[in-house]
Amino acid sequence: MDSHESRELIKRVVAEVLVAPPESVHDDTALVGELGAESIDFLDLVFRLEQSIGVRIPIERWDQYVRAHVTDRDGIDRITPAFVQAFVSEIVQAEEAEGGARGRMG
Amino acid sequence: MKHRERVVVTGMGVVAPTGVGVARFAASLRAGRSGIGPITAFDPGGLDCRIAAEVPPDAVDVTRWVRPPKAAKTMSRAALFAVAAAGMARTQAGLGEDDHDPERLGVALGIGGMGATDPDLVHVQAEAVIDATRRSDGGRVDGPAITRAYRARTNPVNVLRGLPNLAAAHVAIQNEARGPSASIATACSAGTQAIGAGLRMIQNGEADLVLAGGADATVNPVSVLGFDLLGTLSHRNREPERASRPFDRDRDGFVIGEGSAVVLLERESHARARRANPLVVIAGFGTTCDAWRITDERPDAAGAVGAIRRCLEEAGAGPRDVGYVNAHGTGTRMNDAIETMAMKGAFGTLARKIPLSSTKSMIGHLLAAAGAVELVATIIAIRENFLPPTTNLERADPECDLDYVPNVARMASVDAALSQSFGFGGQNACLLVSRW
Repeated sequence: MDSHESRELIKRVVAEVLVAPPESVHDDTALVGELGAESIDFLDLVFRLEQSIGVRIPIERWDQYVRAHVTDRDGIDRITPAFVQAFVSEIVQAEEAEGGARGRMG
Repeated sequence: MKHRERVVVTGMGVVAPTGVGVARFAASLRAGRSGIGPITAFDPGGLDCRIAAEVPPDAVDVTRWVRPPKAAKTMSRAALFAVAAAGMARTQAGLGEDDHDPERLGVALGIGGMGATDPDLVHVQAEAVIDATRRSDGGRVDGPAITRAYRARTNPVNVLRGLPNLAAAHVAIQNEARGPSASIATACSAGTQAIGAGLRMIQNGEADLVLAGGADATVNPVSVLGFDLLGTLSHRNREPERASRPFDRDRDGFVIGEGSAVVLLERESHARARRANPLVVIAGFGTTCDAWRITDERPDAAGAVGAIRRCLEEAGAGPRDVGYVNAHGTGTRMNDAIETMAMKGAFGTLARKIPLSSTKSMIGHLLAAAGAVELVATIIAIRENFLPPTTNLERADPECDLDYVPNVARMASVDAALSQSFGFGGQNACLLVSRW
């Protein structure tokens, strides 16, 4: 999946999770401030990302990522589809590195 | 009569198998129309009971009653019905945003235990077992593999839908009801008891208004099988509309129904101050427990009689004041005989003169929602001057020898009527409604 495809996929999943019209979800749309996301929606989002990219994502990985990047109260609006995409690519890279390491050991 | 301020109903909402909205529901009660048919929610092959009273798909307009739309994700079917019914009650009551204190608006809902079985989770569990068994050696059942397969398939949102108090929470969120919230799980008497609990909140000064009612939606394989294993369901699959036949000699159990009703209870002075139109007065509530057997009623009907007496006593009413009784009337052999005995115990020789009908003959048994939907039917009887019939009453049972308003609705002007419910576990509950 190239980065354009992955960006479109994430916007589609975000729209599904927040039951928002797809055309209202852009790369920089604030999930909390503009689309009304609450904590259960992030659990739903992580579950659906797992299903669509086929990689297991423990919820604490998301929580750690958010804590590392959102350090002040206003920063909550930094959580956008682009932010989610950066998180997903970190997960996917980690998964590939682990798979590669396993391959070398084998 | 106790010197307490009266509590009135200023709005009603109903989601029933025979009609969504009070007007449609009332029209089908008057016509004696059945809402029972073959189960469509899932393939009931393999079950002995394959009929139910379902709310038609898309009968509830989610976009009208749920804000924002994503809130529906964490609503069970029962919660969605409750939210819609509460929205209708509020609309009829003309309750605005600035005419009440949100902290004085409460919620009391009867909720079902078996309804917590979310259909999505049932499927996920089944798939997980199949998948884990297929992967393991020789079809051996591997517990941890099942758990892992379940983990990979389960959306946390679906887990949340199974929380029993979420229906009340959603009703509170949708209506900014920041006062007390109660979720009552007393099986088939839950709807009646929740409205009684709402009445008490107002009488005790904890609230000025309460959205009170019940909701249940259990037309799923686990619940239908469960009630059938308990021997309570009708197997008259070939004639669904004739399957629910309370007080008839050939009755063979109840038919599961789904739906919700919510009424807006309001302190009379509060209703007057905001110029609302009271529909009826909730004149009394009585409740007892048999403390006897889990599924058997006391053979002398003493628990049910006690609930009726307490209810009349609170209202300062005597047997002569009751013009109609909406029966629990499930259509099981035991309920209908014991309920008939309870009427005689509570009303003596007058029992034969007081019409007693079971609307479950048409709408099925809505379990935790039953008492609430039946209270709405009782209010309709008073306000529209007709008694809903007990349909399918074709052959008299010597144990059931009262006036059950057989088969056709009857014109009648009634000033006070009782709605009664009896649940597994022995809970008995009655509400007395009187003309405003």
